[in-house]
Amino acid sequence: MKITFQLFLLGNILSLNIFAQSDSCTFSLSGKILDVETKEPVPYVSVVIKEEGKGTIANEKGEFFINGLCSQSNTLIISCHGYCDSVCEHNHRHGKVPHIYLRQKVVDVATVTIKAQVNKKKGTESISQVTIDEKELKSDVTRSLALSIEDEQGVSLISVGSNVQLPIIHGLYGNRILILNNGIKHGFQNWGKDHAPEIDISSANKITIIKGAAGVRFGPEALGGAIIVEPNPLYLKEDFSGEVRSGFQTNGKGYNSGFEIGQGKKKWSYFLNGNYTKIGDRNTPEYMLTNSGKEEFSFGSGVRYRTKMLDVKTYYSLIDQNLGLLRASFFHSANAIRQAFAADQPDSAYILPFSYTVNEPNQLTQHHLAKGEVKWTYSDHGNLVFRAGKQLNKRKEFDVRRNSSKPIIDLDLITNDAQLEWNHPDRFGLDGMIGIQYFYQDNDNNPGTNTTPFIPNYNTGRYSAFLVESKRIGEHLVEAGLRVDYESSNVRGRETNQDIFRDEYSFTNLTSSIGYVKNFKKSHSFRTSFGTAWRAPNMAELFSFGQHGFKNSYGLLRYYFNDENKLKTDQVTNLNESNVTPEKGYKLINELKINNKLQSHSFAVYSHYLFNFIYLRPYGLIGTFRGPQPTFIFDQTDALFLGADYDWSAELGNYLEGTFGISYLWSRNITDKETLINQPPVTVSYKLIWQQRKLWKFSSSRILLKPFYRFEQFQAPRTLTPEQLTEGDEVITLESEIFDFKAAPEGYFMLRVSWEWEWNSFKGSVSVNNVLNTSYRDYLNEMRYFADAPGRNILFSLNYKFNANNK
Amino acid sequence: MNKMNKFRKYSMIPMLAAAVLLTGCEKEEDEIPEEEHDHEVFTDVKLIFTNTQDSSDVVEALAQDPDYEGVEELTVLDSINLDADKTYTLTFEILNVHEEEHEEEEGEEEEEHEDEHAEDIGAEIAEEDDEHQFFFAFSNDAFSNPLGDGNIDNAADAINYNDSDDNGNPVGLSTSWETSSSSLSGGYFTVRLQHQPGVKTASSGANDGDSDFDLTFVLNIE
Repeated sequence: MKITFQLFLLGNILSLNIFAQSDSCTFSLSGKILDVETKEPVPYVSVVIKEEGKGTIANEKGEFFINGLCSQSNTLIISCHGYCDSVCEHNHRHGKVPHIYLRQKVVDVATVTIKAQVNKKKGTESISQVTIDEKELKSDVTRSLALSIEDEQGVSLISVGSNVQLPIIHGLYGNRILILNNGIKHGFQNWGKDHAPEIDISSANKITIIKGAAGVRFGPEALGGAIIVEPNPLYLKEDFSGEVRSGFQTNGKGYNSGFEIGQGKKKWSYFLNGNYTKIGDRNTPEYMLTNSGKEEFSFGSGVRYRTKMLDVKTYYSLIDQNLGLLRASFFHSANAIRQAFAADQPDSAYILPFSYTVNEPNQLTQHHLAKGEVKWTYSDHGNLVFRAGKQLNKRKEFDVRRNSSKPIIDLDLITNDAQLEWNHPDRFGLDGMIGIQYFYQDNDNNPGTNTTPFIPNYNTGRYSAFLVESKRIGEHLVEAGLRVDYESSNVRGRETNQDIFRDEYSFTNLTSSIGYVKNFKKSHSFRTSFGTAWRAPNMAELFSFGQHGFKNSYGLLRYYFNDENKLKTDQVTNLNESNVTPEKGYKLINELKINNKLQSHSFAVYSHYLFNFIYLRPYGLIGTFRGPQPTFIFDQTDALFLGADYDWSAELGNYLEGTFGISYLWSRNITDKETLINQPPVTVSYKLIWQQRKLWKFSSSRILLKPFYRFEQFQAPRTLTPEQLTEGDEVITLESEIFDFKAAPEGYFMLRVSWEWEWNSFKGSVSVNNVLNTSYRDYLNEMRYFADAPGRNILFSLNYKFNANNK
Repeated sequence: MNKMNKFRKYSMIPMLAAAVLLTGCEKEEDEIPEEEHDHEVFTDVKLIFTNTQDSSDVVEALAQDPDYEGVEELTVLDSINLDADKTYTLTFEILNVHEEEHEEEEGEEEEEHEDEHAEDIGAEIAEEDDEHQFFFAFSNDAFSNPLGDGNIDNAADAINYNDSDDNGNPVGLSTSWETSSSSLSGGYFTVRLQHQPGVKTASSGANDGDSDFDLTFVLNIE
């Protein structure tokens, strides 16, 4: 018998039976350990109850029994030491016992399925990271990717209204956070904070957030961290099963419905899923946010075929979105802008009755992803993985203008990926992998926008090779990695007078990382990681030109200041003749985790120094021929980020668990000795979860109460309102102190409550966001210039799961 | 036996798929974005005051956008110098000049654009007159008719529109002005063109819809 584990996923199915009795220390626990893939029993696995040190070895059928337990709630440590010695790749050498920590919550059901205990991705074992599982993700499938991970410490989100949201890790976002969807970099128009990644979380199986520089393993864009979205793992030997879900939310009268079906035979498996969401105009406690609705359709599918040595997976997914942007963010006169920035709420002309219709300004996007992956396990000790992906990203953006039926931005972006990874056999006690990658993007403007392209046409190719190795000595693990990238770009665009400009440039760079992990005192783990990273300036940072959304932006190569210190945009500078240089980052992150019986702590501190940090800074109010608009220019500086994340969870009883979290970040522009703009403010949160076994007819219930407070951003730049900019004699140049068009909003308190229940094959939830219907603005939502954030939202969801026995 | 062949066969599928993925629907490598001209914009706005008694007595004032889609805005180049106690008809020449020479002309003062390369936005406004209205503001009592300071602050204030749309609402491509007998120096004259699709009514004002342009000239009356 041979059991192959998923490369990164070591999972088991346990069926647990708890015989609860009233007096203490008479609980017993029995279970069976199966391979999650093959459903075959895993024999001779050691099972230890962490809190009590009691343990046993499962028999040859994978069954175990432990009695005399004092608590209903236990953490199991499952170590497949003996079993793995011969069959389990990479997990058996040098005392490297793969522990599976399961926090088992006893619920009144006979079978508990516990899956997805993650083995960290190679090259990131020493980096602080967190995984969000399917259950959590599916609690609200209408959320954006960024919103679904926002609860984690150190993670926040930056947004443009209710529909465009991007994750921030430790103060960095956009091109510094790699989004790895289905094993390949999500190829989209990633410009600053203006576009959300086109990923439907309803089809994600889990999301891992890596909080350190993970560039060695994943490439230059992982300079500030990575978000890894994994699809349905396509398990074999699964009965046909399916799920139908639907939901409704009061704010925006949104509704959604979706399905997922899948089946795993002995050698092959498949899944199909689809989702549809429609949300109308949201409202704040006081007024309507006109044109803030969205419509989204997504489809995903996958097929897997596995033989003894080959494991083949193919995926295809499509997402089609129509995202509305707040109508009140567009103006055609300087007066209107001055008023909008000064007023407490948008002009009444832009507050219309509720509607599902999405008008201009809006973004229409379509993202196709096709991917194939072959894993060739040529021996028990090594394997080769080949991965190829193609993505087509189509984006059309519409603005309020005279020819509003014509898109102002119309782009097709093709991304090709090919990756080959070799998980090599053990040599000198080293466990690691070698990989080569090829990445290619081709961006083209479609004619008919009647405006100078915001982004030029370009072709970028990147060749990379990397090596990550780790060595374990007792309780110590040392990890190191090295990567080399060669990237070249060819750019063709149009100047303001429609003359053609061209640019061609290339970069070669080295990325490295070193890390250390120590597990000690049974419950403590310490990890530290130091990574260097580089990133070539992206197309938007270099070449942005003109109107995008409510603002004008000019890339590093698209503007200059003349002798009179006046901003000019009539020339394009070649990169090699400019003083633009790639970003280089150095990030050190340390994390201490303590898991005691009733309490656990996680404490991370980090420092990140970025040379040539590229950022967008407000310049002023400029009247182009479409009317005056807030204008921003890109600039480069050296920046320092220092911060800490702390999580403290405590069991407050058999059913009650509380988690306290705080994130703090201090950041600074070192060159100019001033603050940075758009940095996340301090947030303090508390999460109380009450897990009830049986309540009335429901087989289980979970009640969550989450208050949090987000402080005002005290490190925000000074304020120069449009009024001051147009009336005053302030001359803005690159040397001027940074400013913002509006002061940072006050801190605010939010409360979220939810109740999830299960009843037979049904699962449902009712949750309330912004329970107190607070009027507030979030510093990192760009629409804060113009309007409040949405008010109270009550969400209902209902899922029906079905299974067919076809053994 | 057969099985092994099957493995090989199946393993070929992803390889082929990968090959198709990587090479399939490849586009031209060196495509250049097409030339794009914004037809919706005004590069030149000229106010033409014609003496109703003497059509050769014409006062013009020009505002121009020196860099097309660049950061510079429509800049007022002239002041309006009218004679006292006369009646003028105000009309506009609103152009979108986007021929290649445009850029080179930057800096050279007031050189006339070649009209054949220019698009007449005025005609477009006339076609969509039920979506547009001109509003005015000026130094108080600079004119004896209309009196007051114009209708930007209050849409009901007097302006002598000579034209109207299909709904009978004023447009303002042509307006009448009688200058006051007293002279004025360093006054102001503001023209605002509002784009009001679905918004324009008999009572809609200068703040309804969006401003296509909003230009303030210096007004002198002697």
